[in-house]
Amino acid sequence: MESRNNSPGGRLKEMVAVARNCYRLIIEYPWLAPPQPGQFVQLRWHRGTDPLLRRPFSIHRADCRRGELWLLIQVAGRGTADLVERGTPGMELDILGPLGRSFPHLEEEGLALLLGGGVGLAPLLFLAEERRRRGLPFRWLIGGAGADLLPPPEYFLSLGLSPQFVTEDGSLGEKGLATDLLQRFLEEERPSRVHACGPVPMLATAAKLCRQFRVPCHLSLESFMACGVGACQGCVVPIRHGEKVEYRRVCLEGPVFDGEVVDFEQWPGIDP
Amino acid sequence: MNSGPGLTLNLAGIPMKTPFLAASGCYGYGREYLPWADYSCWGALVLKGTTREPRGGNPPPRLVETPSGLLNAIGLQNPGIDYFLKQIRPGLEELGPAIILNIAGESIEEYCQVASLLEGVKEVDGIEVNISCPNVRKGGVHFGTDPAVVEELVGAVREVYSGPLLVKLSLEAGQIVPVALAAEKAGADALSLINTLRGMVIDIHRRRPVLGSLTGGLSGPAIRPVAVRAVWEVAEAVKIPVVGMGGICTAEDALQFFLAGATAVAVGTANFVNPRVASDLVRGLTRYLQENGFKHYRELIGAARNR
Ligand SMILES: Cc1cc2nc3c(=O)[nH]c(=O)nc-3n(C[C@H](O)[C@H](O)[C@H](O)COP(=O)(O)OP(=O)(O)OC[C@H]3O[C@@H](n4cnc5c(N)ncnc54)[C@H](O)[C@@H]3O)c2cc1C
Ligand SMILES: Cc1cc2nc3c(=O)[nH]c(=O)nc-3n(C[C@H](O)[C@H](O)[C@H](O)COP(=O)(O)O)c2cc1C
Ligand code: FES
Repeated sequence: MESRNNSPGGRLKEMVAVARNCYRLIIEYPWLAPPQPGQFVQLRWHRGTDPLLRRPFSIHRADCRRGELWLLIQVAGRGTADLVERGTPGMELDILGPLGRSFPHLEEEGLALLLGGGVGLAPLLFLAEERRRRGLPFRWLIGGAGADLLPPPEYFLSLGLSPQFVTEDGSLGEKGLATDLLQRFLEEERPSRVHACGPVPMLATAAKLCRQFRVPCHLSLESFMACGVGACQGCVVPIRHGEKVEYRRVCLEGPVFDGEVVDFEQWPGIDP
Repeated sequence: MNSGPGLTLNLAGIPMKTPFLAASGCYGYGREYLPWADYSCWGALVLKGTTREPRGGNPPPRLVETPSGLLNAIGLQNPGIDYFLKQIRPGLEELGPAIILNIAGESIEEYCQVASLLEGVKEVDGIEVNISCPNVRKGGVHFGTDPAVVEELVGAVREVYSGPLLVKLSLEAGQIVPVALAAEKAGADALSLINTLRGMVIDIHRRRPVLGSLTGGLSGPAIRPVAVRAVWEVAEAVKIPVVGMGGICTAEDALQFFLAGATAVAVGTANFVNPRVASDLVRGLTRYLQENGFKHYRELIGAARNR
């Protein structure tokens, strides 16, 4: 016996594949307060106990007027496979959020550089739309292994956005790594700030480059989560605090952290 | 939500509006769920295990999901008792539910120092002595497994703390009843059980354990039958009340614990999945009482054993 969550419920309106193993979900969701780019939701899509926990996903796009929440979800394991398998229009979704801290300084006048690796592009769409809404300059780079793993340019064009692509196999945009392009941008365009989300090695390199060029950068990090609200201390990552390294919760103190303080040398899962 | 007259109790001297407690370590320091939960449905919040000194906790990853379960190795990350008293304590009484602070340590002196600092603190209605954390290497589990040590530890805490004293038991001992009896004899007012069960998950791609500290404590529905059995055994052996926990997600789950002999139940992992779990439990239990002709949930405590 379990009642509906009292916070507003969501209803899946549409789920379409936009790349290999990657789906865009449009969810009818009556936003109570406008979310900010970089925030995430904890999603529950069934009432069973296996998989047990919710799964965290960045807010890909929020349309408060139409009452829509967009998610961009890559199938990464059991939970996401189950979600995609069960996902049919009309399905009820239990959404906890918006959670976490957003990308800072979105109102800044200078050129903002957005760097997304793979499905890490998800929160940057929201950020890009926010910069555009305010009439502020930005450039957006999207990197991936190959074209099949990224939503096609039309996906972004239909929303009036034109990010620049870079792929490892050269199948879309330039051939190379997103961070190669980042370096060139840092050299040539002198952005006033970098916002990045993607795989940890990309973020680690981005943070290093930004430090080298003395450009502030903000990284959206991931971690396995249980509560998502700061109650369990389960989702921590190593953050430098002066000389000391302390564990900070991705769900509450993050997911966006200042690239200066993230300690990638002690990152979990990176073998010594 | 109005929890109604059939759910009230007095646990170890602490009056409560419902027999539902938020389990330690799963509800932070009590305020984290304010935007998401109806606090009027909790009888008490058991706050995060707190030690004398601040603890940084275990290296990540600290969590991994298992079939209907969660394996965690937080390592008692907490800011220490001084910080708790200065920064966290003020205003806790305004949350509504009774407040119980879970305490831990690596030596009997440490437990006693923490407990004595809580003597007479009005925002904290009682303490829960965790003698069973599986994620602290030094001490921890050792305290919980040996009845003689448990008696000494609980007796020592009893001397410095006069308020309601709960003792949280481990199943690591194999035999939980002798430990429960030792805690009762030493002056515990109530017993909480069970804590998580030690487990391991191995990442076959990296060919090493997933958790940064190798092992962790298993919680969630996967451990529920083990917990119900433990509550059954302990409730039969002791006279003091038992707070049952382990995998409770719904009122039906909680009812098993009451019927086995628990006076109250605590809910941990289920909060992560359903932050409204307390309201669901109140609603579900109230309906069960109505449908089955009971006036007070008290009538159900231990009812499964009276036949
Ligand atoms: C703040 C935040 C925002 C995120 N935003 C997005 C997003 O917009 N789109 C998207 O596709 N994914 C996003 N993720 C990652 C997504 O949560 C995981 O891919 C998902 O939880 C995996 O679940 P699973 O059951 O399919 O995988 P599992 O079978 O549980 O695990 C498969 C792999 O995913 C990793 N993983 C599992 N759970 C998590 C988790 N909670 N966080 C990170 N890695 C995990 C495991 O370590 C393992 O390597 C985000 C994660 C966080 C923390
Ligand atoms: C993330 C996490 C942290 C915990 N921390 C503590 C703790 O600090 N002290 C304690 O006595 N128990 C702690 N526990 C154990 C719970 O209080 C509870 O006994 C156990 O999880 C079983 O209940 P559940 O299945 O409802 O979660 C923790 C459990 C989890 C999942
Ligand atoms: S997921 Fe629980 S503290 Fe972050």
